[in-house]
Amino acid sequence: MSAKEPSQPARAAVGSPNSIGRSTRSGIRGPPNYGVRRLRNAVMTGLAVASILIVLIPLADIIYLFVVRGLEVVSWPALTTITVGTGVEFVGGGISNAISGTIVLIGLATAITVPLGLVGGIYMAEFSDNNRFSEVLRFVADVLAGNSSMVVGLAGYFIFVLYFGWGYSALAGSLTLSILMFPYIFRTTELALRKVPNEIREGARALGSTKSAMINRLTLKFAMPGILTGILLSVSIGLSETAPLLFTASFSNYNFNGAFLHNPVGFLTYVVFVYSLLPSTSAHNLAYLSSFLLITSILAINVVARVVLRRFSKV
Amino acid sequence: MKAGNSRRRLVDRVYDFVSALLGSSALLFLFMILAVLAVFSLPSLVVNGLNFFTTVIWNPGISTTLTAVRGFPAMSGASYGMLVFFSGTLISSGLALLIGAPLSIGVAIFLSMIAPKRLSASLSFFVELLAGIPSIVFGFWGLLVLAPLLVNVVEPVMAQYLGFIPGFGGPVYGYGLIASGLVLALMIVPIVSAISRDAMSQTPIELKEAAMALGMTNWEVTRKVVLPYAKTAIVGSLVLGLGRALGETMAVAMVSQSALNILPMTVYYPINTLSAFMAVTFDSALTDPSGMEISSLAELALVLFIITTTVNIVARLLVRRGFISSAEHLVQV
Amino acid sequence: MKMSSITNVKGKRRAISNPVVVVVAVVLLVLGGGIGYFAHTGSGATTTVTGQGSTTTVYSTTTVYSTSGSGTTTSSSEPALPASLPATTISETGSTLLYPLFNYWVPGFNSTYSNVQINTAGTGSGIGISSAAAGTVQIGASDAYLLPAQMNQYPNLLDIPLAISAQMINYNLPGIPTTTHLNMTGNILAQIYNGTISYWNDPQITAINPGVTLPHQIIHPIHRSDGSGDTFIFTTYLSDTNAWWSSHVGFATSVSFPGLATAAAYQGNGGMVQGCQQTQYCIAYIGISFQSNTEAAGLGYAYLQNRAGNFVDITQANIQAAAAQMVSATPPNEALSLVYAPGANSYPIINYEYSIVSKTQANANTALVVKTFLNWCIEPDHGNAASYLNKVGFVPLPSSIATLSYSQIAQIGP
Repeated sequence: MSAKEPSQPARAAVGSPNSIGRSTRSGIRGPPNYGVRRLRNAVMTGLAVASILIVLIPLADIIYLFVVRGLEVVSWPALTTITVGTGVEFVGGGISNAISGTIVLIGLATAITVPLGLVGGIYMAEFSDNNRFSEVLRFVADVLAGNSSMVVGLAGYFIFVLYFGWGYSALAGSLTLSILMFPYIFRTTELALRKVPNEIREGARALGSTKSAMINRLTLKFAMPGILTGILLSVSIGLSETAPLLFTASFSNYNFNGAFLHNPVGFLTYVVFVYSLLPSTSAHNLAYLSSFLLITSILAINVVARVVLRRFSKV
Repeated sequence: MKAGNSRRRLVDRVYDFVSALLGSSALLFLFMILAVLAVFSLPSLVVNGLNFFTTVIWNPGISTTLTAVRGFPAMSGASYGMLVFFSGTLISSGLALLIGAPLSIGVAIFLSMIAPKRLSASLSFFVELLAGIPSIVFGFWGLLVLAPLLVNVVEPVMAQYLGFIPGFGGPVYGYGLIASGLVLALMIVPIVSAISRDAMSQTPIELKEAAMALGMTNWEVTRKVVLPYAKTAIVGSLVLGLGRALGETMAVAMVSQSALNILPMTVYYPINTLSAFMAVTFDSALTDPSGMEISSLAELALVLFIITTTVNIVARLLVRRGFISSAEHLVQV
Repeated sequence: MKMSSITNVKGKRRAISNPVVVVVAVVLLVLGGGIGYFAHTGSGATTTVTGQGSTTTVYSTTTVYSTSGSGTTTSSSEPALPASLPATTISETGSTLLYPLFNYWVPGFNSTYSNVQINTAGTGSGIGISSAAAGTVQIGASDAYLLPAQMNQYPNLLDIPLAISAQMINYNLPGIPTTTHLNMTGNILAQIYNGTISYWNDPQITAINPGVTLPHQIIHPIHRSDGSGDTFIFTTYLSDTNAWWSSHVGFATSVSFPGLATAAAYQGNGGMVQGCQQTQYCIAYIGISFQSNTEAAGLGYAYLQNRAGNFVDITQANIQAAAAQMVSATPPNEALSLVYAPGANSYPIINYEYSIVSKTQANANTALVVKTFLNWCIEPDHGNAASYLNKVGFVPLPSSIATLSYSQIAQIGP
């Protein structure tokens, strides 16, 4: 949709959905039954309006609730101190441990996934010629993307935490995340590259460029906004995961200490999940704060992704 | 790409090979997941056999003595049946689809056919943003806002006035099933409506204009022209949404009230789903000395994997026969 | 696709490389697994202990123990704590009942040993035991001792009591003030949880609650969805008092609760408080460290019938009375249920709060820190001081039990 919008204004100018509706209603003399049909039109329009209200009210409430509560509890100390038992309340302090852990987990997962997904996507779009193997890969990526993150988390626990013996650790958590993020980067890269017009490729090859140079210097550049969008969106996918991290990263009350193995790391969704169930005001406040941070950062990522796509898109 | 008159250079071949290698990490990931699940669910497959798929009781056993069943250690009195979680998964996702499908099609119709362009653009942007809200936040909201509302206000009224519908009568026990269905519905609406809206707004303008020239109302244009045109994509998006609902873990774990050993008879029952049960039971299952509970959980994961994969294949087939590629929804959502 | 039709001829040759790609991927997987495997056997992080060699572990712990030099060969008194510790990170996870106490303990411990980081997490006793067994954390917190089958499975694990806790039976009964405490027996609770008794004004309940007008409302029995020591001691009480429960459900950190439409399950003690607050006419079992929260939530709690037949309040004195009855029965490995103790004033649902620790830690520093921390927790002038325990309603270990714990802690080594 947003990827296609640049090509749409021409169409919209001919007649926007809105102008269609207006012209219909302004018909002075209609065919038989016009009254009934207009009534039906009005009813269905009402239902459509009702459905968007039904959807928007709870969703707006979610955002309102967590943004308002989040703004109430957000403070510099809450963002920069670690979670501690304060003596009065057994969970208090701030969530810098969860913030730093999330940054490490997402950063590492992105660093692992981007090369795999990006280069893999290049293969799909530029080298595979849609052969049988690439179809298998595409199918497998779709299966991975549609899979429950819980299943991946269970597998991640068995493989990374137990079999590889990494314990609850940043590496185990990020590798599990990267399994979840991979299909998104992989498929969006392919999609973005396929949108680059073939004339560009043919022109480059006609001038004697190697395929590698053509990809690196031309097609990748043209596809970069789309690829970046995919990466950003996969980051927001990773940010919102809970279940797989519960069993691979566990949780830590301390800031990330530089060790990627054998040391559990904190993450924001854990704070929401566990502290929201603790009957303590200070724990609830931390859960609100985490929800607020998650929602705002994901919204910000989405906005940035769209701006990137719209502003820098050349194709 | 006229490679015919010049030899492919070595660097191109290397690029080809390396990119194929990195791309095949998809295979590696899938292989790892399946291998681990297969290895860990083997004892359960052997010991529980078909009973796993046909019984309701999930009991890790009450005795501390281990016995050997077909070569695997097991707790005496243990029995593992997946029906509670299997049915809970299907029912809650079905309910989510039942609520979510009309809503998202209504939203899509509003956005593509009714709303002024400005409003439509900003609302679709907003709706799509909602697809990114973490499921844990949905669960937190469900616990804070939805559950008290349901149990204190909505359900007593429903039981009173909708009691004549089978499944809606009887005493109000809890909010688990309704709350799970509602939260899941909220979570799939953004995806489904985004894809449907996109498909509907791609209806060729000539078709719409021709229909209007015949004197059709806006709804008739939608009904006779736009919806048939976008049908495949809408169905595909619904199946994709169903896939997401089936695999959802945390939001459901927080509001389902974690039913055990009981199948839902009315909508006022607590429920449990495959993934939510795995998430909350995994830890204590690791303490089972026979290892059979963890193996049974792995088998649950395998069942869930098969369900979501099947749904995904169906969605792929449907979407592919339509006009949007299945990958495109990834960019949108 | 246009592109593919142009270069169709090339497709065949490239297709040959694809099986190679798969082979390379599998080789990478095996390599990665091998590297990971050797990395983990090298670091010795997990305890993949088979049945053999408990003597060797004892031997190794005694040798390393002398190097740590905290001098606990004297069996009676508390071990001296070292003046400082190496900078180390250790992790605790498990019981949500112990979780608040750990969060009070760690800042206190850090005021002496500031360079030690101790991660705490309230995840349920189930994960406390399993994580300690898997070596993913150093200290697992559990309200339940290790069952014989678990001890056989993990001969390297110790269960070391740190304090004594108790459990409330809470309910949400609108119209009955929280100052009125219902009388409740284990037998009746078992029948509520298996569905035999389904209304609050059941004759069995009214018979032991003269003077209280109970409503004709469905009872909602709620329980924990995660593995929990609270479930362990609660179901122990039910098993001790109800034959059906004992033979059909039994006791464990997570049991197969009878399927009831009226039942619901929640996560953690906190989830139980919230769930019970939301559900009118519920009954729930909640650890005593959450007493201030249950009071704030407006939940009442019951007086429970003990073995002597008396209905007793959950007071410090009654908990200590019950603990005193069980001191002499406690074996050296301290795996003992304190539930349903004899004695006129004994509160029936109490338990040792255990730390589940592996005898063999990753290295000498970790072992030293774990030992020092656990000793610190138990010592009456440190972790077992009233200033810590009163906040969560726990009572300190009797001195002879503390001595048993010290000698168990002494077995920990690298």
